[in-house]
Amino acid sequence: MLLELNGIYKWVKSGGNRVFLLKDINISVEEGEFISVMGPSGSGKTTLLNVLGMLDGFDEGEYNFLEEPVHTLKEKQRANLYKEYIGFVFQAYHLIDELTVYENIETPLLYKKIGSSERRALVADTLDRFNIVGKKDLFPAQLSGGQQQLVGVARALISNPKLILADEPTGNLNSKQGEEIMDLFKELNKEGVTIIQVTHSEKNAAYGSRTINLLDGRMV
Amino acid sequence: MLKNYFKIAWRNLFKNPLYSVVSIGGLFVGITFSLLIGGYVWQEFQVNEGLNNVDNQYILTSDWKNPNMGIDFTSLAPLSKALKDNYPTLIENYYRLDGINVIISNKNDHFRESVQIWDSTLIAMYGFKMLYGNPKTALLNPNAIVLSAEKAQKYFGRTNVVNETLSIENFSGERKDFLVTGVLKKIPKNLVTNLSDNYVNEIFLPQGSLSFFGRDQWEDWSYNIIPSYVELKNGIGPTDLTIPIQQLIKKNADQRISENLKVNVVPLKEFYLEKDNHLVKRMLYTLSFVGLFILLMAIINFINISVAHSSKRMMEIGVRKVMGGRKTQLVYQFLTESIVFVFIATFLALLCYPLAKPWFGQLIGKQIPELSSFPMYFIGIPLLIILIVGFLAGIYPAMVLASLNAVESLKGRFKKVTTSIVISKSLIGFQFIVALTVLITTAIISQQVDYFFGNSLGYNKQYVISASVPRDWSPEGVEKMETIRNEFAAMKEVNEVSLSYEIPNGNFGFQLPIHRFNDTRKNEVPMQSLVADSHYLDTYQIPLAAGTFFRDDMQVRDKVVINEKAQRLLGWESSEKAIGQYIKIPEDTISYMVIGVIKDFHFGSMADNIEPQVIFNPKTIPNFRYLSFKLRPGNVESSIKAVRTKWSSLLPNTPFEYIFIDDTLKKLYSNELQLKNAAYTSCWLSLIIVLLGVFGLVSMSINKRIKEIGIRKVLGASLQNISFLFIREFVSVFMVAILIACPVAYALSKMWLHNYAYQIEIAPKTFIWSVLLVTGIILALIVMQTKKASNRNPAKNLRTE
Repeated sequence: MLLELNGIYKWVKSGGNRVFLLKDINISVEEGEFISVMGPSGSGKTTLLNVLGMLDGFDEGEYNFLEEPVHTLKEKQRANLYKEYIGFVFQAYHLIDELTVYENIETPLLYKKIGSSERRALVADTLDRFNIVGKKDLFPAQLSGGQQQLVGVARALISNPKLILADEPTGNLNSKQGEEIMDLFKELNKEGVTIIQVTHSEKNAAYGSRTINLLDGRMV
Repeated sequence: MLKNYFKIAWRNLFKNPLYSVVSIGGLFVGITFSLLIGGYVWQEFQVNEGLNNVDNQYILTSDWKNPNMGIDFTSLAPLSKALKDNYPTLIENYYRLDGINVIISNKNDHFRESVQIWDSTLIAMYGFKMLYGNPKTALLNPNAIVLSAEKAQKYFGRTNVVNETLSIENFSGERKDFLVTGVLKKIPKNLVTNLSDNYVNEIFLPQGSLSFFGRDQWEDWSYNIIPSYVELKNGIGPTDLTIPIQQLIKKNADQRISENLKVNVVPLKEFYLEKDNHLVKRMLYTLSFVGLFILLMAIINFINISVAHSSKRMMEIGVRKVMGGRKTQLVYQFLTESIVFVFIATFLALLCYPLAKPWFGQLIGKQIPELSSFPMYFIGIPLLIILIVGFLAGIYPAMVLASLNAVESLKGRFKKVTTSIVISKSLIGFQFIVALTVLITTAIISQQVDYFFGNSLGYNKQYVISASVPRDWSPEGVEKMETIRNEFAAMKEVNEVSLSYEIPNGNFGFQLPIHRFNDTRKNEVPMQSLVADSHYLDTYQIPLAAGTFFRDDMQVRDKVVINEKAQRLLGWESSEKAIGQYIKIPEDTISYMVIGVIKDFHFGSMADNIEPQVIFNPKTIPNFRYLSFKLRPGNVESSIKAVRTKWSSLLPNTPFEYIFIDDTLKKLYSNELQLKNAAYTSCWLSLIIVLLGVFGLVSMSINKRIKEIGIRKVLGASLQNISFLFIREFVSVFMVAILIACPVAYALSKMWLHNYAYQIEIAPKTFIWSVLLVTGIILALIVMQTKKASNRNPAKNLRTE
């Protein structure tokens, strides 16, 4: 088992009332799964993804990741955990504008304190794998949306994570670019990477092996 | 439209309180400091302004070919009167004074006072106002005395004291009653009653009293220690007096004087700024520069923060432009905003002025004028500050912001402003340079000042106090004082007591030319002549190089002690060789045997070289002024109390006004201490302003890069990683600042140290510590700020609308 959510609740206070963002979420994910999270706007998809990615906390419930009880871990241990095992892909790519493609992909390795020769090898490998060697010195602004997202995915994968969390990865892309990214995910999944994606599109959801539907913070 | 501008400015003030506080805070500090300095500068220019017809008032100063022949701010006693008598078409009036130090008693209250014996012309010439008494007749009677209102309060507790009496002791111990004939109104600071800071004269005696004090030499053309003033007729310049003065001196004074003396006619206003080696002027320049730089730094802060802040305003600028706002209109809008900011800062500074006044005054050792003492039209000055500073601070950010491209701004792209990074970096770099330079020079000034008070003095100032004794300069007087000295020395609280004419404060009694007995006048050396009894060396713990010092059981009449400098200049290779040799004062019949050589000690300021000294015993030259007490360590206060009790029984008619040698030194170095204090303050201010600036820039930068921080955190960045992102922005600027500030600070310090014959070594350590200190503070500030940003939940930073 890769991870397990038991009775997760998350709320914000609005006036005297609790507004629930997540309500009684129970999920368990095995390694190698490809899960799509669907639901209308405001149903809690992104919140769920942030909780899974340990970027955001929750108010009640248990979260075990690789047998580690995340809810009891300290901030720093949590950061180490996601640094090690989780890669993020965003709808708006979130590449750093001031860095080149190469440097963007390299950044997570810098933060993991990996030696320079190994870094160079890993980045070269990744650039090659994603077919973007020729673009390594370009800045994000010089790339198309699809290419930027490709870099985003490459960056998420560089530290060899077990889990990829993708928040509408194709949301800003045209259909052809979107298809390419989804194909990439499919392929990665076949290689054994677990993927959880948030999507609005049935077609993209169909790439997954399982779909979780959310409505008003509740699984339906 | 203008109203609209103000409204927007006012709202923006509160929209981003942190930004407002940082911007206004920096300006507030800068403007307050400038106002204080401005007040001080204005006041210094007001000196003498209270005198009648001040533009025609001059002082006669003396330029001696050999500086040992006379004092520079005095002149030949009869000169000014002779000028008036012989050249009535040039001279409107003249004034002479003799400053003496006497003990004045009202029944059993005794005070030591500086008293001015005056020419009767004083009141008419300078227009001093009298509160009580008749100005025409007040000082005709030789037994009259005129006081200031303040002194009247001191002696009688009220101001209307005409016809009261005060008794004064002359230098041979005689007492005489003087009748108060007038009380003067408060006298504004001027160079007639207050020629030097040591002598503030508020008590005046008539010329007729000169003989009582044995100073009746005002007709003597070789008597050259009388400060002399003249008031010129309208249209007459100082150069018109050159030839008359030359002729008068040639006719009346002896040849030795007329060949060596050049008398200058200096406007009183100018003399105040220029005297004592341009002391006041230097202080004015230094402080004005410091004030200007601090204000400049505050303005730069404002510019930097405004430009950095502009990313927040982009949307607004875009919308305004799309809606048809022209560039000039936007410039006006932003200028209005900066003027509103400066207005608030100035307003706060004015409120703060009375609060900061005493503190700043104490710091530089001067009174700072009240706001209410400024003339009415000064109300325009704050307004002028607001407009000028507002414009200077606002124009650049306004131009930058207003020239942003409308569409780009709307999209939130910030291409244009990145081009201004060079400017904004040079601005912050300039601040770093100023702060570092000030810090380093402050450190060096402080080291040099500590050196003045340190172990290099050559004597031990610990537990030594001195007090003035009455002058009875006769062999009997000396004998009486020796007995009194012995009584004090027998006290258990006192280690050693010495009777002397000098204490180590730089003021020596007289200068004597001296040569070896068998030598000629050609090899004479001008020497400081000190008079001290046989206990001086033990009291001050000055080490002896060879021979012996005076002893009580010694016949001392023809014996002297010299210092090592004198021994070298007189041509003896070693101290031992000088012992038993004879020296001679030219034209003196007796010769003196050198019985001892003392090690050189700093008798005066370290600005000057140690001079050759010859020490006489009071039995040889019956002059003395002080008793110096070396107290036993322990409870100093009770020791002083015991000495005071003993004093009042031994010297009942003399006030016991003691001063620690430490405080004597502080007086000697008062300018240096003021400079040190001023340096400390400007050091703090510039650091505060730089830190405000860095704080503002970093917080703006964090705002701009909040998303990037989020991404990096998601990718696994730690706090150090993120802090370093922001530190990196300053590293290169800071490096350049160090490279510029160090040599500049070195040069400035060298220039200042150049004033001193004895200086500290400028150590690299000073530079390293200063740089480390500033680096440390800036780093801590950046880390503190980024910590907050970095601890924020990255999920929040990354939320896409």
